[in-house]
This record gives sequence, C-alpha cells and structure tokens, in this order.
Amino acid sequence: MPRLLLLLLLAFPLAAAEVRVFAAASLTDALNEIGAAYEKASGDRIVFNFGASSMLARQIQQGAPADLFLSADEEKMNALAQRGLVATRTSVLSNTLAIVVPRVGGRAIGGPRQLASVASLALAEPSTVPAGIYAKQYLVAQKIWPQLAAKVIPTDNVRSALAAVESGNADAAIVYKTDALLSKRVRVAYEVPRAAGPKISYPFALLREAEQPVAAQKFYAHLRSKAALAVFARHGFIVP
Amino acid sequence: MSAEELQILSLTLRTAALSTILIVPPALAVAWLLARRRWRGKSLVETFVALPLVMPPVATGLLLLQLLGRRGPLGGWLHRTFDVDIVFTWRAVVIAMMVMSFPLLVRAARVAFEEVNPRLEQVARTLGASDARVFATITLPLAARGIVSGMLLAFARAIGEFGATILVAGNIPGRTSTLSLAIYNLVQLGRDGEAFRLLGVAVVIAFLAVWTAEGFLRRSHDARRP
Amino acid sequence: MTLAVRDLVLPLAEFTLDVSLDLDARTTALYGPSGAGKTTLLELIAGLRTPQNGRIELHGRDVTNVPPRHRRVGYVPQDDALFPHLSVRQNVMYGARAMPDDVIDVLELAPLLDRSVKRLSGGERKRVALARALLTQPAVLLLDEPLAGVDVALRGRVLEYFVRIRDELAVPTLYVTHHMEEVEALCEELVTIDRGRIVAHRRM
Repeated sequence: MPRLLLLLLLAFPLAAAEVRVFAAASLTDALNEIGAAYEKASGDRIVFNFGASSMLARQIQQGAPADLFLSADEEKMNALAQRGLVATRTSVLSNTLAIVVPRVGGRAIGGPRQLASVASLALAEPSTVPAGIYAKQYLVAQKIWPQLAAKVIPTDNVRSALAAVESGNADAAIVYKTDALLSKRVRVAYEVPRAAGPKISYPFALLREAEQPVAAQKFYAHLRSKAALAVFARHGFIVP
Repeated sequence: MSAEELQILSLTLRTAALSTILIVPPALAVAWLLARRRWRGKSLVETFVALPLVMPPVATGLLLLQLLGRRGPLGGWLHRTFDVDIVFTWRAVVIAMMVMSFPLLVRAARVAFEEVNPRLEQVARTLGASDARVFATITLPLAARGIVSGMLLAFARAIGEFGATILVAGNIPGRTSTLSLAIYNLVQLGRDGEAFRLLGVAVVIAFLAVWTAEGFLRRSHDARRP
Repeated sequence: MTLAVRDLVLPLAEFTLDVSLDLDARTTALYGPSGAGKTTLLELIAGLRTPQNGRIELHGRDVTNVPPRHRRVGYVPQDDALFPHLSVRQNVMYGARAMPDDVIDVLELAPLLDRSVKRLSGGERKRVALARALLTQPAVLLLDEPLAGVDVALRGRVLEYFVRIRDELAVPTLYVTHHMEEVEALCEELVTIDRGRIVAHRRM
C-alpha cells in the first residue's frame, strides 16, 4: 500500500502540465508560434485565452483560472496588482500604432489632418481596451479627437477593429502595427512614429493563484528568452 | 434617469417599435398561408421561419453581417446604388430585431388564425364576400387579440435582442447602443451600478409587455367560450 | 328547374356519395339517418366542397365551377355560424342585397337588431341566421337541421317562421332533417338519402 502511494506521488510531476495564459489579442499570432515551439520542446501544454486586456483582467478578478497574464497596458496589470493577484511582473515589449484602410478602395490618408475627415473610424473600445485607449491618447494629442468622436465605431478588441476595415464596413481603423502586418486585406495608410505616439507597454505577469506555478514559471521565463523575443520582433513588436 | 440613459431607452423603444410594425404585414401573410392553405414546400418554409428562434443569435448575426455588409450581396447593392449603409447603423439594429422576432409573431398569428372557426369564413363566402372581405371582416377581427398578443411578444423580443445586434450594428453610443448592448458594455467597463439600473428598466418593460400579451390571450379565450 | 344535380360524386370515409336530383317545389325535405351524407350534399351545392365528378345547375345555370360567393345560395349550417364579433344587425346585413324590411318583419327581428349575438336564445339565433341568408336574395335556401338545438317547447314557434318564409317570401328551400314531424309540417316533397345515395323521392 505505501509503495502504491509513493508511485502515485512520483507520477504527478512527470505528467505533462497545462499552463493557462490569458493574453492581449494583439499578441495572438506571435504567442501561437512561441507556444507551439515550446510545447514540442518541453512537453507541457500551453492553453491561450486571447481577448481585450480589460475583459481578461475582469475575468481574472472574478476567479477565472489563469497562470499568466500578458496585458497590453500597465493599467490593467495595476488593477490586478492592487488586489494582490500578481506574483511577479516585468514589462518587456512595446508596439506602435498604425492607421489602416481597406486594401481595395481605401482612401489615401497621409497624416492626422486627413484622418480627421474619414467617415468612420473603428477603434477598440476607447474607454477600456488598451488599443483603444492608446488610439484615443494619440487622437487627443493630435487635437483631432473632437471631430472624430462621433464617427468612432467602438469594437470589443483590436482584432475586431481590424476586421471591420477588412470587411469594408469601416473606412479606417487605428490598430497596432503588428496587427496591420497580419492582414492582406488592409494596407497601412501611415504609421504613428514612436515619438508622436503614446507609450505602449506590455507587462507580463505570473499570477499568485496559478494552478501550475512550476510549469507557469518556466514558460514565464521562456517568454523573456532570446528565442521568444526574436519571434516577437519578427512579428513587428519592439523588443529591448 | 440620466440623459444618456434616456437616449438609450428612447433608441431601444423606437427601433423595437419600428421593427414590430414592419414585420406585421409579412408575418400575417405567412401565418395565414400556413394556417389556411396546403402547398408544396410548406414544411420547408415552416422550418426556415422557425430558424432564428433556434439558432444561436450570433450565428444569425453572422449571416446578416455577410448579407448586409458593404461587400455583401444586399448591403453592397444598397451602398453602390443609394449610398446607404446598413452595418453599424440603426438600420442594422432594426433589421436584426425584425429577423429575431419574426418567428414569434408568425407563430402567434398562425395559432390565432387557426382558432378562427373556418365555418364562419365559409358562411361569409356563401353570403357573397370576396376572399379579401372575408379576411378583413371575419378572419382578422376574430384573430386580432391573438395577433396583438404576438406583437407584444415580438416587441419584447426585439428589446431584448443582443447576439445578432452586436455583430451587425456594433455598440455605438447614440446610434446603435440599445438597452441590451448598453448593459453589456457597462458590465465590461465595470460600471455595475449603472448596469443594474438599466437592467431594472429592461425587466420592467419585459414584464409589462408579457403581462399585457397574456392578458390579451386570456380575453381572447374567454370570448370564445359559449 | 330550381335545382338540378347530375351524377355528383364524392368519395367519403365510409362510402361514396353519388347523387342525381331534380328539385322544383317550394320546400323539399332531405331526409335520412345521421351520417347519410346530407350535410355533405348541402356543402357541395353551396360550393364549400368540390365534387370529384358531376354537375350542379341552379335555375338552369351551371354553377359547378363557380365559387360560393357567386352562386346565390343561402346556406344556414347546423350551428348557425353567426359572426360572434358583430351585432345582430351587422350579421343580418352582412351580404344583404335587398332592403331588409319584409324579412325582418316576417322573422320579427326588429327588437333584436342592436343586441350582441352572444346574448340570443337558440330560437333567436336561428331566426337571425335565416334572415342573414335570405337577405342575399338567394336562388335557393339550404337549411341544415334548422331545429337542432332549439328547445322542444319552442320548436313549434320556430317552425311557424319557416312556414311564413315559405308562404310569404317564396324562396325554394332544401331542408335537411332526420325528424319526420318537421317534414310533414313543412315540406312539399321528400327526398330520402342513405349512405350517399337517393333511395326515394316523392311528393308529400
């Protein structure tokens, strides 16, 4: 009987762990690539839940099971930290904004002046979703927010804003440059230079209530490795 | 209520009312054909009409998005010919409400028509009435209570519509932000108190609509008793 | 010839209706047991059912393919079929082609005109249904068991009204019943039908 118990106890660390990662929608493609390679190398399973950082933060607050949280802005992470849900965190990646239009039939928009006169502009919800918050910061700084406010189509997350332009139902959208690069059905009208745009920061965190702390810690470290950062860079993120 | 809340309520009531009025003629026509006539393909039509009741609303919303978007068959034509957009405007809200509440009205109207004694319609014909006159003077008045009850249910359904609407109209403050969408948005924003206030409004409207609908049905059945 | 029916055929659940008939008299009784096909025959003549075969002529005019509204047939079904949502006056005037005065007088409906049909006695309902049919100036009147559902005590009175209609308004009538007393009181000819076929036709 005791030997059976010992066998069972030893069996557990050897079973493949499942790491649950809640991540901002803009990180989808880069993370899928990183996750697939990591699964092959380590034998652990990585399960992603992509969405707007605001929605993910809320889900974590309400007790959704997550081991890691990769947010698109500091504010959402701060909210979790205040509630004591964060074990450790670092900020690693950055990004820039891009104005996209449909590839077929899209207007030429050279800068903020012309942007102010589009008929409709899709943004991730500018009061909560990081991509939308950054976009609004940019528009306010360029003093064109008052003209554009009534023409904004708020979407649930940055990928939906991209999709609205892909389908032609919105004239333009402000998304991350990394999103713009992914879609063949949009083209970048212009990129917001880093100096002119808001400071975009992606904090990564290991959560206190992680169910798989050991495996989660391993993946958390891997995300900051040279190999992973190279993948992020290839997708257009700004890495240190 | 704040100005914003009033605007949401006003938009919701107006779009739901318009949607209900617009579905009445086609719903009555379909309901009558299903109640009084037999024809090839009838069960196919019955099934199609019932689909929005059973399919996930977002699936219906996706189909509408494909159809009504600027690149879709119907939306594209409207955009090119009349420079009219549907997606992300109040028109999409009304259309989503129409599609989702149509089956409810058809069902209620069909039952109402079926409950009209066909003998009465037959006698009216022997008295010289045309089909149109029979419908207007005999069938419709006797089915009226059941039809009104169905309209109230359709109205309540339209007010509660969310899944299809969010895909096809978005949640644009002042333009497409209905009661259901606003509640969802407030919850997303963490403004739970305001969300609960709107929830209260939604419950009151739904309660009144269904209670009145049931009242009409009750009186319709009482009138039938000899 | 008021009404002529030639080889009218309609398969029913238990048997096939197959009837040929010539009617001339003022009031003809269609007599037979329950389920003999009497109501079905009336419905065929009124145009509410379609025969498989055969012809129907009213006053020499072929009405076989004519819809009910153009046949000029006055039909009073067994359950009266008064329109419950209309008043007595509205029921009576529904298809009226003539001024109602003599019909209303004969049937003594004047005091009932503004009542709701829901508050009429059995006998009153019959009179209203009759007036409604008569006011369309029909070529022939079809009555299906008109005394069914009328209080035994009142039957005599209602029968009197039928006699008055026969004598004062002179509309040819086909009167369905399975009570011989009514036949004897009212009708000039008797047609007997059983299991869908005419088995006898004689003058009273």
